[in-house]
Amino acid sequence: MLSRLFLRDYRCFATATLALHPRVNIFYGRNAQGKTSLLEAVCVLMRLQSPRTSTKSEWIRFEASTSLIEGTVNDVDLRYAQNATVRRLAVSGAVCTRSDEYLKNTALIVWLDHADMNLVRGGAEHRRRFLDFAAAQMFPEYRDALKAYERSLRSRNYLLKRDDVIPWKQVDAYAVLLQKHGSVLRRCREALLTALEPHVVAVQQHLSGNTEVAALSYARGYEGDDLAAVLHERRAEEERSRSTVAGPHRDDVTLEINARAASAFASEGQQRTLCLALKIAQARVLEEARGQAPLLLMDDIFGELDKARRQAVLTALPAESQIFITTTFLDWMEQTTLNGHCYEVSNGAVEQRL
Amino acid sequence: MSQVDYPATIKQLILLMKSLPGLGPRSAERLVLWLMGRGESRVGELIEALTSLEERVAICEECGFFQEKGHDCLLCHDPKRDRRLLCVVEEAADILKLERSGAYSGLYHVLGGKLSPLDNITPADLRIEEMIHRVTELHTEEVILALGADVEGEATANYLADMLRVTETAITRLAQGMPAGGGLDHVDEMTLYQALSGRRKL
Repeated sequence: MLSRLFLRDYRCFATATLALHPRVNIFYGRNAQGKTSLLEAVCVLMRLQSPRTSTKSEWIRFEASTSLIEGTVNDVDLRYAQNATVRRLAVSGAVCTRSDEYLKNTALIVWLDHADMNLVRGGAEHRRRFLDFAAAQMFPEYRDALKAYERSLRSRNYLLKRDDVIPWKQVDAYAVLLQKHGSVLRRCREALLTALEPHVVAVQQHLSGNTEVAALSYARGYEGDDLAAVLHERRAEEERSRSTVAGPHRDDVTLEINARAASAFASEGQQRTLCLALKIAQARVLEEARGQAPLLLMDDIFGELDKARRQAVLTALPAESQIFITTTFLDWMEQTTLNGHCYEVSNGAVEQRL
Repeated sequence: MSQVDYPATIKQLILLMKSLPGLGPRSAERLVLWLMGRGESRVGELIEALTSLEERVAICEECGFFQEKGHDCLLCHDPKRDRRLLCVVEEAADILKLERSGAYSGLYHVLGGKLSPLDNITPADLRIEEMIHRVTELHTEEVILALGADVEGEATANYLADMLRVTETAITRLAQGMPAGGGLDHVDEMTLYQALSGRRKL
């Protein structure tokens, strides 16, 4: 649970201090006031990455040189400072040089926003990113394996493109590494999808009023168990395409509703529900695997759901989760039943209203 | 208005200092100013040390370690060393680490780096031809690849193993796993994972 959040020179916030509620925290205000930035700050503090950008210097406030995010998570003080080139991490006031040591002290998170539609409609990279984000929080070995895999893949693809005559011996040296790290990725993704499936089915059923049956399956990026051997066999193909033709970077997840491909045959509403189901399932799986309920960061997704669905979503979420919601209007919210805090965000200032 | 700055000679020296690894513009400036002020007496010593570096120190053509010019390499010509073993390392400094461990008494071979296509380091930049030549000449029985466990180190090890296959010598690499004298709680998950997959029968 995140009990305190402090920001300095982060995005549009000069300074902001928030004492957070253990259950529900709602940020409301007009567009472009900094609501999503607050959720982003929580995500950065917990995962050292932002769902909005990969350029870290982007979140330093205009005219400032260093941005600072602090938070108290399960009574541990975390601190993240970023200037144009360097980031500094601290846990309980002590500098932490290794990100995996830092991440051991953070809370689990699930991020929900409009872009989730890409899970169903977008390309396979969106589904792989979903798997990566969840698996990195579930399996301690995943993050290192992913980094090593991506670096090996970049090197290998570069070698395949660089010369007229491909230096196969060097290329093969990297295929061994792809096999080694790729097998970790596959094992974790398999386990993750197996854990997700029953929850996705249950949540889809729950949200659709028992009319929709969802299914998901792992579309593997290479056949068999030996990626190095597969790549060796498909050498002619690689010679033509000049890139690595098989591996977990070609993984995908097949999504179906009522036994038909969700991307092509499901309605807009069904697709939206499936995306929600995937994220809610992610939250439940993380809770099961790690024994603590994740924080749910929901960026502007409640406004467009009807009352019945909203209620269904809220009951499907893990009961112990701390929830952060951004919204532009509060009409949908029955304020009498709110068990939490409500903050108004206006032009880089946050004020608690309820 | 003209800007006041250091004379060209000083600027040049600062630039030179800055090009050394680990020194930024501020530290380079501070060093140069110190040399001109309180450290003046040390300038002579420094000049002498730098000149003798070039005059007296050479790199052994066989193993790639440092040696005194005109003398035999202390490693390659030591009769007590086991000439059937060859340990391949990335940098000369790695030899000292292995020597201090006292666990190894064979010969060494310095590669001079590791393969990294993204940094444009190719096999031609490393002493790989020399290594294969030595293995054939010395009839080495075992080549130990003591390279880093990062992506580039592992890729280099895989590449070398492939290149050495023709010599039919045994090829090994350093184990990864538990640090000496530590409990399980001091080991990170990745290391523990590797230690577990590389476990040994008692």
